[in-house]
Amino acid sequence: MNMTQKRSLARVLLAFTLLGFLLINNQSFGQEQAAEAETEAAASSSGPIPTEPARITEGESLFNGNCKTCHKVHQKLVGPALANVYDRAPSIDWIVSFIQNSSKVIASGDTYAVNLYEEYNKTQMTAFPTFSRDQILSIMAYIKAETEAGPGGDDPKGDETNVTQTAGDSVPAAYLNAIMVGLIIVLVLILVVLVLITTILRKYLNQREDLDEDDEAIVNPTLDFDKLVKSKPVIFLVAFLFTAIAFKVVVNQLYAVGVQKGYAPKQPIAFSHKLHAGEYQIDCQYCHTGVRKSKSANIPSPNICMNCHSAVKTESPEIQKIYAAIENDRPIEWIRVHNLPDLAYFNHSQHVKVGEIECQTCHGAIEEMEVVQQHSLLTMGWCIDCHRKTDVNAKGNDYYTNLVELHEQESKGAMKVEDIGGLECSKCHY
Amino acid sequence: MKLYNNLKLASVLAIGVALTSCGAGGEDQGLEYAPNMYHSVPYEPLSQIVDETAGEAAEFLDPNTDDKHGEYYNSNPYNPSRMTMRVPPANSVPRKNAGYILPYRIPKDSLDYAARTLQNPLTEDKEALLAEGNVLYSRYCNHCHGPNGEGDGPVAGTEDKVVFAGIANLQGAAYQNITEGHIFHVISQGKGLMGAHGSQVSQEDRWKIAMYVKKLQNQ
Repeated sequence: MNMTQKRSLARVLLAFTLLGFLLINNQSFGQEQAAEAETEAAASSSGPIPTEPARITEGESLFNGNCKTCHKVHQKLVGPALANVYDRAPSIDWIVSFIQNSSKVIASGDTYAVNLYEEYNKTQMTAFPTFSRDQILSIMAYIKAETEAGPGGDDPKGDETNVTQTAGDSVPAAYLNAIMVGLIIVLVLILVVLVLITTILRKYLNQREDLDEDDEAIVNPTLDFDKLVKSKPVIFLVAFLFTAIAFKVVVNQLYAVGVQKGYAPKQPIAFSHKLHAGEYQIDCQYCHTGVRKSKSANIPSPNICMNCHSAVKTESPEIQKIYAAIENDRPIEWIRVHNLPDLAYFNHSQHVKVGEIECQTCHGAIEEMEVVQQHSLLTMGWCIDCHRKTDVNAKGNDYYTNLVELHEQESKGAMKVEDIGGLECSKCHY
Repeated sequence: MKLYNNLKLASVLAIGVALTSCGAGGEDQGLEYAPNMYHSVPYEPLSQIVDETAGEAAEFLDPNTDDKHGEYYNSNPYNPSRMTMRVPPANSVPRKNAGYILPYRIPKDSLDYAARTLQNPLTEDKEALLAEGNVLYSRYCNHCHGPNGEGDGPVAGTEDKVVFAGIANLQGAAYQNITEGHIFHVISQGKGLMGAHGSQVSQEDRWKIAMYVKKLQNQ
């Protein structure tokens, strides 16, 4: 009986699943038919754009490799948003010839192309002469697929990841804060309760008459504060501490005379090294071009700023100051941060090109500074210390060959800067 | 006696307070020791003292001058915008050991001509040149074009937050067949959104970068 019941149940289940399959198949079949009908309709209006998934994926990889830096499907970037481009543009043939060589189409006087060129501030689209018509059609197929997916296609995913990320980062921190605040409140409450208990107990004990003298002393302790303060050890300790601290402050401050460590003047333009050298990882030497060639590392002239800021953040009031400087042909009066006294000579190229010393060795973590400040002491002791410790970067530099040989005859250690005259007065003072 | 003690205490405190203002920090450069040895008498390229009264107290060191300004004033009001660094005269050419380096003069819009005609003058020891090209590429190109030239450096931004749109993917189909001369010309004069880098990168270095970019593309 049991067995037959199970079997009949299984049969019913099987029947249901089969039915389900059939239904789903029917539905998807219906969708396919609809899609085909749509593509036929589209084909009649905008030409033969392929719809096979293989062509779409081919188009996607071509788009990502060649187009996406200037174009998005649903958003205007350097060039126009490409959604519906196959319906907008004069013809598929026009698109093909424009992608293969846009300047030729513009030069031919084609009105649509010329208008486009004018609309985008005469930015010329890079020519792709190697693209075949088929490849361009694949890209169109990808654009069409994306157009139909709608602009929301990518965004929710991005939002979701963002949400989960922020949740992952911030929720434990918030919990931690709440826990800490709770703990503090509990501790304060305990303290209040304890104080209350002691006062009540004291009051109660004071009301009792049968306490002897010792107990009385414990209940109402009498501490002679005045006597304690005037005792010799305390006076000595206080005097000693005061003198020691005062002495240290005086000596420290005297050593700080002439030292500008920590000097961080406000610059005429709020340029952030943290953003440029830190987040965007632009090499120091991209802007400070003199550092390998001359005494000074140099402050970049505005044309170097304009390599990016002709297109980036053009609306920012700080960037507008660069434009104003260029327009009025006036220098930007940056304030020098590292003012080595004139009595000492220092040369950047010698240290950076020959010595291969990192900028950060002397200038500190510039890539983390919103406003640049002097990181090192720039005192003579500081220079000498480094010259004593640092090995000469003699590897692959013929200039040092003889010096290294001579040095090795006399000593076994590495050749330090001091061994080749790095401590001579006249090296830096003349 | 008590007054005397109080005076002692007060003087120590006063010295301490006075000395705390010696160090530098923020906008304050701090106190200087022997400032007449700190400030340059000749013009300095990147800094200048425009305050005419600066160093008036030190005038007694050189009583015979009648320049009517303080000892440390080292600005030149006769130069435009008081600039002490000046643009070299028009058409002047820097000299080097090897002779003159003539400036690169093919105009920006003649990219096709440059790409067809320019030849890389650097031919010896290609391996060493490429190694230098690698260093130069990471110094001047990496932050936009990315380590492999795919236009994905940090300045390009991310998919969600584009910072600098339109950075060329050097591995893309449009750039596969470009010549070293083409790359040299684009670095020198710029193209599209890319600025001219001729003022930052020497001609020799530009050729090394061009060689390295071709190597990247053929990898």
